[in-house]
Amino acid sequence: MPENAQHYKLLTGARLIDGAGGPLIDNGAVLVHGSRIAAVGPASTVSAPDGASVERFDFPGKTIMPGMVDCHTHHNGFGDGRSGDDLSTLPDEVLTLQSARNARASLFSGVTSIRENGPKNFTMFRLRDAVNQGIAVGPRMVLCGRPVAIIGGHMGYFGSVATGPVEARATTRQLIKEGADYIKITATGGSTRTSFPLRPSFEVDELKAITEEAHKFGKLTAAHCVSTQGTVNSLEAGVDMIIHCVFKEADGSDVFRPEVAERIGRQGAYVNPTLHVGRSRIWVMQHKKEREGLTPEEQQHLDAGLRNLETRMEDCRRMQEMGLRVITGSDSSWGDYQLGNTVYEAELLVASGYSAMKGVLSVTGEAAKALGIDDVTGTLEPGKEADIIVVDGNPADDINALWNVNEVFLAGRRVDRGSPESVEANRQMPPRG
Amino acid sequence: MSETQPAFKLIRAARVIDGTGSPALERGAVLLEGDRIRAVGSEESIAAPEGAPVEEFNYENKTVIPGLVDCHVHLIGMGDGRAGDELTTLPDEVLTLQAARNARTHLFSGVTTVRDCGAKNQTTFRLRQAMEMGITPGPRMVLAGRPVAIVGGHLSYFGVQATGPDECRAAVRQLIKEGADYIKITATGGSTRTSFALRPSFTVEELKAICDEVHKFGKHAAAHCASSQGMSNVLEAGIDTIIHAVHREPDGTSKFRPEIAERIARQGVFVNATLGGGRNRVVTLEKKMQAEGLSEQEQEELDQMRRAHQQRLDDFAKMRELGVQMAAGSDSAWGKYKMGGFQHETDSHVAGGMTPMEAIVAATADSARSCWVQDSVGTLEAGKQADLVVVDGDPSQDIGALWDVADVFLAGDRVDRGNFV
Repeated sequence: MPENAQHYKLLTGARLIDGAGGPLIDNGAVLVHGSRIAAVGPASTVSAPDGASVERFDFPGKTIMPGMVDCHTHHNGFGDGRSGDDLSTLPDEVLTLQSARNARASLFSGVTSIRENGPKNFTMFRLRDAVNQGIAVGPRMVLCGRPVAIIGGHMGYFGSVATGPVEARATTRQLIKEGADYIKITATGGSTRTSFPLRPSFEVDELKAITEEAHKFGKLTAAHCVSTQGTVNSLEAGVDMIIHCVFKEADGSDVFRPEVAERIGRQGAYVNPTLHVGRSRIWVMQHKKEREGLTPEEQQHLDAGLRNLETRMEDCRRMQEMGLRVITGSDSSWGDYQLGNTVYEAELLVASGYSAMKGVLSVTGEAAKALGIDDVTGTLEPGKEADIIVVDGNPADDINALWNVNEVFLAGRRVDRGSPESVEANRQMPPRG
Repeated sequence: MSETQPAFKLIRAARVIDGTGSPALERGAVLLEGDRIRAVGSEESIAAPEGAPVEEFNYENKTVIPGLVDCHVHLIGMGDGRAGDELTTLPDEVLTLQAARNARTHLFSGVTTVRDCGAKNQTTFRLRQAMEMGITPGPRMVLAGRPVAIVGGHLSYFGVQATGPDECRAAVRQLIKEGADYIKITATGGSTRTSFALRPSFTVEELKAICDEVHKFGKHAAAHCASSQGMSNVLEAGIDTIIHAVHREPDGTSKFRPEIAERIARQGVFVNATLGGGRNRVVTLEKKMQAEGLSEQEQEELDQMRRAHQQRLDDFAKMRELGVQMAAGSDSAWGKYKMGGFQHETDSHVAGGMTPMEAIVAATADSARSCWVQDSVGTLEAGKQADLVVVDGDPSQDIGALWDVADVFLAGDRVDRGNFV
């Protein structure tokens, strides 16, 4: 259905958060023209041109805000605890179908943009093609194609391994040729069985080659770092986002390194702490404990998880206090964390120290900046794409209001989200205790 | 979820049509237990066991029928008029996503079982794998995987071509190894650019090798026949279903061949006439004519489609007079025929002389028999899988009622039809 060029949508009756850091507007309105926002502001100041056809949406008592931006997803994943090593054995077609299911679930939950952090082969490029052809639905996608890994490195099983600056450059060019919007690097090992999470992976000259090559084409880079030396190397190479940003030494001890954090701040790199993916594991164990009890070994595992979460939240708080650009990226559907539940990550950034409003910005305007798509989406400003959600309550008071999504608009179109039950079914619930 | 749901569902409706051809049962009921039908009968005679938790569904003014069985689909098709030669250039992942979309659409429209008549590479097998993993919903699927074609033959671009009896046998074995439930053969050319629609493709010897091999494994074979010699050849080889069954000579003239029809009937072979695509196009153009008028070219197309469709309806009626059994299969989403409109095929069956009840049977019990799945689906009988459709009105009076689907049950679960893409 081609939209009538003269057709406007007017969203009124609600408080309004612009996602750009502007003050909350009590009685705001958004005027949408085609796929874009034409005007935003207090209701008295926003109206369609005389004589234009206007479709009105009134949302009394609700909040109008930008659609959420999730900086870190794995659309191939199931979030059912299976390892990436096992995931990558599935056929590409099955992974693509799972990605479509996840794209739908996250869009319906209010996420209108995602940055995918590592799928297998061509699966996400194919899904985007299919969405563009109207075959599937999903949010805007910022894609890496495949992560760049060392031989045996984290997510090397997804299809891109490189050794030496020349191969690293070639891999970057290959991914960009295929349609990559940014380059994801695994700068330390991770859960991948053949990798070493406490050690860096690439040499600094390899990381520099990737980053330089990506920047040459105007693309950003982001590096998975689950131990500190990987972060140091990535900063040396000029990486734009540190993912996980776990402060761990090579011997596994937790040591917050203020000088590394300061350097992140100095270089203006973004930090994506991915706190909830760890808590989702904790919840699985706690669910099991409630249901059937735990073995002593499992209890130890749970206790270690809880301690780790505490450390990660404390490190996150420090980085927030130092003014680092900490943004929301869920890491779902990795591990036990399923897409459609991005709010849990934003909630933990708030629990670590952000105000609720900062939490909202971390999953809207700031997140869009981190992805380099802030010229297109992430805020409610004239000229931006009309990616808008309407929620019950006020997320600037309580970040959990983001769970209560009433409507989603993507590029000015109201998204048909099907039955409320099917949307609700995607939510992962915490343990009762 | 499932553990807390009552094991029994009691469905009451203004009438129940069981798909066997028996008259509609007024004020009927169907009792489901888990994924199966436990009992079917009059409202008074059906109840859950005493004290058992039961979920009740009451459908006033509606009719319960067996889930529809579409014995001919192409799940990877777009239905937007693009040629198969173009379709096949899309990547497998995109085709699989399209297949998932079509599967969902068809299920939501009341079709609970499909036989896929040809897809590229492993796409439909992958879709089934994903469905079994709970990734995406869809009807039960009877799959061919790829059709078996000659070099350059119809649908050969999907990935299987064979020459000579040995290669034909090998192709059958390969497909069965991959998970094929039956074998689709293109016994004449078709729309494929390098094929010859008016000529047979395989030799009888090759067809015999395919049919022998597939029967050896207890599976059936269905053959695309867009001209008469193809029909004669596959009948000689022992085929189970003839698809299209177009009575046409090598020079393109339409000529009904009663001796072929008699042999189809004698051998107990099903015909899937695929009339719905023509009707879909006629209906679409007629609607457009009324709404906004037609261009000269469209008017020409409409006149030509009407003649061709009428020709097929006449041959359909003649075949039935000679005792041929018909199974309803839409051939969507091939050509311009999108999925979700299987009912064009049932409408066509009535236009071709069936009573509405006969058309219901052809789209349920008989279609299931033609797909060799009659033991589990196709009728509402105790012990069968609980695949049901609820429609407004009475389709045994007006076949058009099949378009008005109110609810779909698949394996005893009410399908959430909330979201179409």
